[in-house]
Amino acid sequence: MDIKIAPLALAEKLTMTGLEVKSTQQRAGDFIFEAEVTSNRPDWLSIAGIAREVAAATGAKLKEIPGNSGLRPALKKCAFKLSVENARDCPCYSLKIIRGVRVAASPPWLRLKLEDLGCRSVNNIVDITNYILFKYGQPLHAFDLDKLRGETITVRRARKGESLITIEGEAKDLTPDTLVIADASRPVAVAGVMGGKDSEVNDDTRNILLEAAVFDPVLVRCGKRLLGIASESAYRFERGVDRNNLEKASLEAAELILSLAGGSYQAERIVGARKIPDRKISLNPAEVARVLGVRIPATKIKKILSGLRFKISSGQRGCFTVKVPSCRGDLNSEIDLIEEVARIFGYDRIPSSIPSIFSSVTHDNTMDLISFIKNILTGLGLNEVFTYSLIDKKSLQDSQVAAPAAIGVCNPLSREQEILRPTLTPGLIKCVSYNLNQKQASVSIFEIARVFSLSGSGVPLENLTLGVALSGERIELLGEGQLKDRFGMLHLKGVVEVLFQRLGIRSFQFFPRGSSAADVIYGGKKIGAFLNIKKSILESFDIKNRQVVVAELSLDEVLKQVNLGKKFVPLPLYPGISRDISLILKHDVSAADLLALIRDEAGSLLGEARISDYYHGQQIPGGSKGITVSCFYRSGERTLTEEEINPLHKRVCRALEEKLEARFR
Amino acid sequence: MAVVAPGRVYRPDAVDASHSFMFNQIEGFVVGENITFADLKGVLEFFARSVFGKNIRMRFRPHFFPFTEPSAEADISCIICGGKGCSVCGRKGWLEILGAGMIHPNVFKNVGYPPKKYTGFAFGMGLDRIAMLKYGIDDIRLFFTNDARFLKQF
Repeated sequence: MDIKIAPLALAEKLTMTGLEVKSTQQRAGDFIFEAEVTSNRPDWLSIAGIAREVAAATGAKLKEIPGNSGLRPALKKCAFKLSVENARDCPCYSLKIIRGVRVAASPPWLRLKLEDLGCRSVNNIVDITNYILFKYGQPLHAFDLDKLRGETITVRRARKGESLITIEGEAKDLTPDTLVIADASRPVAVAGVMGGKDSEVNDDTRNILLEAAVFDPVLVRCGKRLLGIASESAYRFERGVDRNNLEKASLEAAELILSLAGGSYQAERIVGARKIPDRKISLNPAEVARVLGVRIPATKIKKILSGLRFKISSGQRGCFTVKVPSCRGDLNSEIDLIEEVARIFGYDRIPSSIPSIFSSVTHDNTMDLISFIKNILTGLGLNEVFTYSLIDKKSLQDSQVAAPAAIGVCNPLSREQEILRPTLTPGLIKCVSYNLNQKQASVSIFEIARVFSLSGSGVPLENLTLGVALSGERIELLGEGQLKDRFGMLHLKGVVEVLFQRLGIRSFQFFPRGSSAADVIYGGKKIGAFLNIKKSILESFDIKNRQVVVAELSLDEVLKQVNLGKKFVPLPLYPGISRDISLILKHDVSAADLLALIRDEAGSLLGEARISDYYHGQQIPGGSKGITVSCFYRSGERTLTEEEINPLHKRVCRALEEKLEARFR
Repeated sequence: MAVVAPGRVYRPDAVDASHSFMFNQIEGFVVGENITFADLKGVLEFFARSVFGKNIRMRFRPHFFPFTEPSAEADISCIICGGKGCSVCGRKGWLEILGAGMIHPNVFKNVGYPPKKYTGFAFGMGLDRIAMLKYGIDDIRLFFTNDARFLKQF
């Protein structure tokens, strides 16, 4: 065809009709395009197919490829037998016998053409089959006729125990999923993929058998996988080749062989129909507008379709009947034609609009809450991290977390990705380790992600989980000077308390499990845990001389308890009285028990009681801790007096002495 | 009906600067009685301008996806060179950011929606890739290494 537009403009045009030109390069006055052919368009895997597209995209006129010269085989009768075991595996198989060829190097024009296509030149016969493959998209194969046994070709499934030696010289065992080309005694090629070493055309070859066929795409794919070989032939058969091209391509190859390698065309055999009829598809122009959102006139639609070489006739009720040629196996229904119209019309010419959506959606606010939680945690100075959901078994074992049974990955890419994590902890510890090793003074991170496990009955479970990890020294510059504080369990507890407070979750409890772990309890149910990671565990994660504390909370459970409703409480009318209690408690008395007892004893006049200081040090005996509780007494009805509060506060203190063995300082 | 579904996705890729076996994808669709390809363009152009700025240009190229037809890949004008061509966009002036298309009638049939009544568009995009383009991050592994010096920048 004569192309009137500049090569780069053509590349752009093809890209915008769906044949994306990835790169262009100039060579010897020609332009070479490298294009990405989508898997639905095997017709583009040939020069002829690209030419059809160029014609449709640019409106240029496609010249017909000259018909064959009417080459006929010399012999009408021939003893060679061809049989196809199953027409579904191989709808059409044609062979041509050419005798007396001279195998030699290809002429320069042929070698250059193949080189431009990225194909290595072998010899004139093989090069011709490749050239025709690229020209028409029809793979061909040439066998050395004299190496075939018994004047017979059968297209059949491989039998048990059969094997083939590939051109690379490797013996491959074949399976019944493999479609093979066999001579009288053995397979000589894996159909559509590659011929065997034994029947390869080489410099001594004098007589050849030229194969042109259509094979079942799935079987070719099986064959390709079995051999572990990707070939230009297999690539095309897997995607579908155009049967109507078969005879034309095969004849042209024969003609080229006669002209470049000599010899005489002696005989042919064909099994299966060479032609299949065009498909008829009905197209309603109103549907084009309904899908695309633009009204393209019927005359324009017709012009686009006839530019694609489809035949159009008028059908019923304003519809067209479109006859699609066999090379377009991807077109089967009206929507396929609408896409063709849209492509050639140009996506850029379709206007843009915003749809009116009347949403009756059930708005799942989980995402909003998660983003709220992320804001709270980043507000506390934590960084959000994103660690892999697939981890290795070893780091799970090393972390010694009491996690449920993990789900394994079939065929993991590497040992690092062998299970779906049942806990966030190993990933978080690794992350802490990485950052401490990057000389970060402190690491405070969180991750919100799903963890995976197998239930007792083997059902896979997914749980949305919040993980928090803190380590290192926090240094703050305050009005009084520098404050250094080492991250520990109390910080972790503080983070979770702030989070619960902001989410309106009140009646949660922390239950210590030994000195280095605690459970988070809500409504009698464990919803999370704190862990002060053991030194020996930290060492297996390459962390030395540091403390790392980790919390994991089930967000599925936490989100159920969120209460963001607020109700205003009138401001107090009367002033209150505050009293601090400084006491020494045994280490195992929890702050929660202490405050609960104070509230019980003080009754309704206690407005608030909170821990205002905590210390251990030289003045405090071993096994004990020093705590200061600030109590604030207030009445909503009157101003309280010292006389009223003193006996009440004394009673509180006495109860602390008697029930918790507190000593006052 | 309009749905957006973000999440972690997995594929058997070896990890390098531009590949990861785990990454994040945002997929979505709009289905209704008058949803058109023009709506697909309008919504995704709005998205691109919201993320990359209002001077960004967008183009849609025909492509192939099994569940949509017509299908498209969308490019934005290169945010580094503005479309003139540079090393980031491979001298093309465009950066591919998402795949989209009109939901295939077979999909509607399979879920019991009459395709003559309903149309819809669907799209999918890699969140990590978009973040890399937007912030000029050249290595996808940085998202999963969680280096504090990286995290603190966001």
